[in-house]
Amino acid sequence: MFAAVKRNSWRVCAGAVAQALVLAGCASAVVVESDFPTPVVESLPLAVGLFYEPELRDFIHAEALPRSSTWTIDLGDANLAMLEPLYHAMFASTREVDTLPPSDSDAASVDAILSSALNRFEFDVPRTTRDQFVEVWLEYRLELRDPGGNVLIDWLVPGYGKAEIVGSRESAVHRAAIVAMREAGAKISTEFLTQPAVVDWLDEKFNEG
Amino acid sequence: MRLSSSGLLIGLSAVAVLAGCSTTSRLEPYKQTDAVLLEGEGVVILARRHHATHEAEEEFIDCISDALASSKQDIVVHDSDEFQDMLYPWFEPSTAPLNVADLSELLDRPGVAERVSATGVRFVVWLDGSTDRVASGGSITCAAGIGGAGCMGLAWWEDDARYDASVWDVAQLNESGTIHADVRGRSVMPAVIVPLPFIARPQAKACRGLGEQLETFLTTPSGYGAGIAEIAEIG
Repeated sequence: MFAAVKRNSWRVCAGAVAQALVLAGCASAVVVESDFPTPVVESLPLAVGLFYEPELRDFIHAEALPRSSTWTIDLGDANLAMLEPLYHAMFASTREVDTLPPSDSDAASVDAILSSALNRFEFDVPRTTRDQFVEVWLEYRLELRDPGGNVLIDWLVPGYGKAEIVGSRESAVHRAAIVAMREAGAKISTEFLTQPAVVDWLDEKFNEG
Repeated sequence: MRLSSSGLLIGLSAVAVLAGCSTTSRLEPYKQTDAVLLEGEGVVILARRHHATHEAEEEFIDCISDALASSKQDIVVHDSDEFQDMLYPWFEPSTAPLNVADLSELLDRPGVAERVSATGVRFVVWLDGSTDRVASGGSITCAAGIGGAGCMGLAWWEDDARYDASVWDVAQLNESGTIHADVRGRSVMPAVIVPLPFIARPQAKACRGLGEQLETFLTTPSGYGAGIAEIAEIG
């Protein structure tokens, strides 16, 4: 409860600062919002506990670009909007866990725990009118653990997006961020099963069974 | 004999138009099958987005989609965003099939062929290319004073719209053909007190040309000869 209140206060505070900067005319604020599609992938017969790092939920990137304005880009809600349908399609069943390591009851009811964090976020907005594209780079960090807490895979998943500047630069940053997130989501859903550590773990698990 | 400034402006503009503002179009259609759209079948226009240096502009994709949707043949054009969402994650920049063999492999994946079938899309048109400024020159100087303000000079620039449309047949799993469009346009802006722009719009011309060629491509089974149409227009 306290943690939630603290997180919300921090977001309100960051939002207020961003709003003040925008009103002062020296800042750009982008709140990334989108409906992300459910992927067309075959689900694995696994029950997976999902842990989202608190920073992932509250992620706000603030950066002052040289000879340009200060940007604040809020990805908090979009991260979950992208990852939740992805995991629901990838695994036979999912349930969110609140802590890592998970409680005994959570650990007993799942085959593995998958934790997600946003490790890196960078963007570039052109300063000259001849450059037409905004670019966004991001990197998710996924850790798959067995119920005993042993790390099975520590996977960095990059995403890159670019968007043509049509209208405002803020809307181009918004679109580029969504492209980058979709790219990362595409990698997670199509390459999870090709990770050698996952292949070994699944082999072991299903051969044992 | 004194030449008035309006006379000079008209004269300079006429010279500029005749000598400068022009477009040259080159369209190369190549169709290798007789496949056409049948009743209930549609087409989707997608941009190739895996290049680091360029990608087809969104307004160009929309322009081609609109041109086909409003054609006399009543072509059903599926919304590209909706198509990509329905087939997520298989048509993202890094996962989209690069050739028909990749498409064939993709359609073998569970659920993918059913989703494509549900959209009613028979042909996927991949657009690749961009419009770039290839040359520019001249200069215009403007000044303002108590008595008024004005500009003097001549500026020009040349844009090149180069696009390739690859048409894939999802039902027969082959590449039906390609259409290449290259439209180059030179714009000029003479200024005698007032700048007067004569702007060539190669991208709009490329859209119109490519749209018309695609309409024929998708609806004409035979007699659609491979060939090169070269048109030079002035003004």
